[in-house]
Amino acid sequence: MDAFVNAVDGSAVNQWVTGSAWLWPLLEILHFIGLSLLLGTMLVVDLRMAGFFRRINIIATHKMLPFAFIGFGINLVTGTLFLLGDPARYTANIGFRWKMVLVLVSGLNALWFWFKINPVMQGWDPFGDTPASAKFVAWLSLGCWFGVMLLGRLIPYIGTG
Amino acid sequence: MFEWLEGTPVAIWVGESLWGYPIVLGLHVIGLAIVVGIFVMRDLRLLGLFDGISYESLDSLRNLAWSGFVINAISGCCLFTSQATTFASSTPFLLKISMIFLAAICEAVIQHKSHDGAGAWDDAGAVAGSVRALAMLSITLWTGAIISGRLIAYL
Repeated sequence: MDAFVNAVDGSAVNQWVTGSAWLWPLLEILHFIGLSLLLGTMLVVDLRMAGFFRRINIIATHKMLPFAFIGFGINLVTGTLFLLGDPARYTANIGFRWKMVLVLVSGLNALWFWFKINPVMQGWDPFGDTPASAKFVAWLSLGCWFGVMLLGRLIPYIGTG
Repeated sequence: MFEWLEGTPVAIWVGESLWGYPIVLGLHVIGLAIVVGIFVMRDLRLLGLFDGISYESLDSLRNLAWSGFVINAISGCCLFTSQATTFASSTPFLLKISMIFLAAICEAVIQHKSHDGAGAWDDAGAVAGSVRALAMLSITLWTGAIISGRLIAYL
């Protein structure tokens, strides 16, 4: 971690992010817009996959997923810039570390969905109940993303542990 | 009046206890994701995306979206009391509240119009121009509320 902080501090991108008074708030605004897109998509897709709102055609919900990728992409870029702008503060922060753990779990969960659930979805009743494995993936996804959001919001208030 | 608000027990808990402010702020971001996320997804459906998901089925998340709205009205009031005099004179805050007020009216109008027309909104191209304009307005207002809300801390 120290090597990372030393390598980043004073680098061109580090100075760019912290050099302008307007860039940080602009990145924060984009980060909030990204989270709205990601969480909005996941709420619809995961709640349906958990078995709720069965009037929604579950097989068509994949058409919303591009917005989850757009939201995640925005937040990956803006989040990386926050990290490069203030590396010592983030790497030492317990809230940030747990947030990254939950992002990783979300990513593995998404891979599980993609390789194990998505291929068999076509055989489901579009307006029916979902298998237990799909419900598990859906609740894990919602739990992780809401946890990510909450921990992110609490970073300024959680110390170095 | 704003000074009196800052002296209420809620304001003191939010402003001065160790976890009061972060807990309420955490609730505020959860509510934000629910209300903005769901309404914007519905707006995108009205604008013609998500072919295969009917408007009426997506509209069944309406109550969840409004529950996010209520979470944020309550948590927002708690946050407001803690620094009432500062917020009441903050331009981005007043802009944010105005946009949320207009967005709520916008959602109500879309829902009112859907009572008559939603059955037809599921056919391609059947969503009236006025409803699509309201969907655009809804997205714009929620985005504006996020932008001005974030700027409260900076201006």
